[in-house]
Amino acid sequence: MARWALISGLRGDLEVYEAIQEELRQTRRVDTLFVLGDVIGPARNCDALLSRLQQPRRGELQPQCLFGWWEDQLLAERGYRGGRRADALRLSQGETAVDALLQAVDPGHMGWLAELQFGFIELDCALLHASSATVEDSLGPDSSPLLLLDRLTRMEVNRLFTARSGQQFSIELTGGGIESQVRDLEGQRHQQQSVPKRQVIGIGAGVNYTIYDPGTDRFDFLTAGSRSQERARGFA
Amino acid sequence: MAHAVISCLHANHAALEAVLADIDQQGIDTITCLGDLVGYGPQPNEVVELIRQRAIPTCQGCWDEDIIEGLNACDCSYPSQLAERRGHLAHQWTAEQLSEENKAFLASLPMSLRRDRLLFVHGSPNSQHEYLLPNMDAFAALERVETAGADTLFCGHTHHPYVRELRDGSIRVRVQEGVASGGPSVEREINLPVRRIINAGSVGEPRHGNTNATYVVHDEATDSVEIREVTYDVERTCRAIVESGLPAIFAWRLRHGFEYAERADDASHVCER
Repeated sequence: MARWALISGLRGDLEVYEAIQEELRQTRRVDTLFVLGDVIGPARNCDALLSRLQQPRRGELQPQCLFGWWEDQLLAERGYRGGRRADALRLSQGETAVDALLQAVDPGHMGWLAELQFGFIELDCALLHASSATVEDSLGPDSSPLLLLDRLTRMEVNRLFTARSGQQFSIELTGGGIESQVRDLEGQRHQQQSVPKRQVIGIGAGVNYTIYDPGTDRFDFLTAGSRSQERARGFA
Repeated sequence: MAHAVISCLHANHAALEAVLADIDQQGIDTITCLGDLVGYGPQPNEVVELIRQRAIPTCQGCWDEDIIEGLNACDCSYPSQLAERRGHLAHQWTAEQLSEENKAFLASLPMSLRRDRLLFVHGSPNSQHEYLLPNMDAFAALERVETAGADTLFCGHTHHPYVRELRDGSIRVRVQEGVASGGPSVEREINLPVRRIINAGSVGEPRHGNTNATYVVHDEATDSVEIREVTYDVERTCRAIVESGLPAIFAWRLRHGFEYAERADDASHVCER
């Protein structure tokens, strides 16, 4: 079965994108590339990367892109989110960051950015920038297991791939349960429910990315450019 | 101290009068309303004015929100196109009938009310449109209460009164993180707190199988909850529905105490709007 590469957080860095594409081409036997958002950012001009994502070079994997937090902020500021503006960015990093973000992306790319989806469902997996709740939801190793289970339940999937935290991690829900008692006009009922075996995977950001093999359910966390001192490690 | 919680009045003045009389008869003077003052029923102004006159703390329901902000619920609100058309008719009629003053009152309502560790919302802490049905996933139900920082969550929206206690919960996880080769995994288990969801049912449009209006009384001293049923003059409201020109099926639903429209198929669905 086809293997997936999952990347995020390029923030306009075409060199990192090219390094990952080259690595995938040479060694990874991957045939689907998912880009889970944050392809833009305020720190550099993003036009070259955006053009490349829309028009891959011969031999490159065609990227399947989602919008992330930074795209959401830009789309809001440019009027693509109704009355909402880049309030979260403005609040956290100030007006200078909003201006820098506007400068970093040519308006000619807005149509393409506006067409990006919130998430993909592939097999029994949800591929999202953040979570099923919002594009801001930062899931990580310290997130409440109850919250993780809720985010999985909302999507009705067994695995949720997320990028927002920028971390590479895996959290498997391995057991547990809950009891509930309902009383209504018909009487009282007792219910027991077990925790389903599900998983949240943080794919990393920038040079850190993830390979997933749906056939074997194996993950590899990788770092682009580190082939000489192989840092990949997998777990089934 | 006992307090009463009412919800989903739906412009049914006769039902609201009967419920308030029942509350008064018990000597309860703290009442909280969980919204949906209007919609479907024939007396939106009378119901809003009675709530205002009694100065009952109220949070905003999905109908109250939609009347102010325009129809903006996603398709999840309606199980069929026919039900959606009827809902839109009721929306338009209600918007035309409501006085500007009463619209301003609905617009001023908060999304939630909080008293210590008691939280009052219309649908869920996430949205006025989210249904917390009694059989929804127990972990998801607990998450709604816990994330909102409450011990007990009072809600409405389903028109089905119930008390649900969630307890003896735990989740075990295996965590692997970091970039070191062969990073170690850590196992941990969390014990989940005991939490409770109390759904007040509906004053003005019951869906529990008979025609009685429902609400709940919570005694904070004993922490007990009583689901109250109140009879009222259903025919008075049904006649008013027909005379007002609203879809006659709304009267039929009231006469039978159940209905299949305006109910989300997926209780865990969060309206995206």
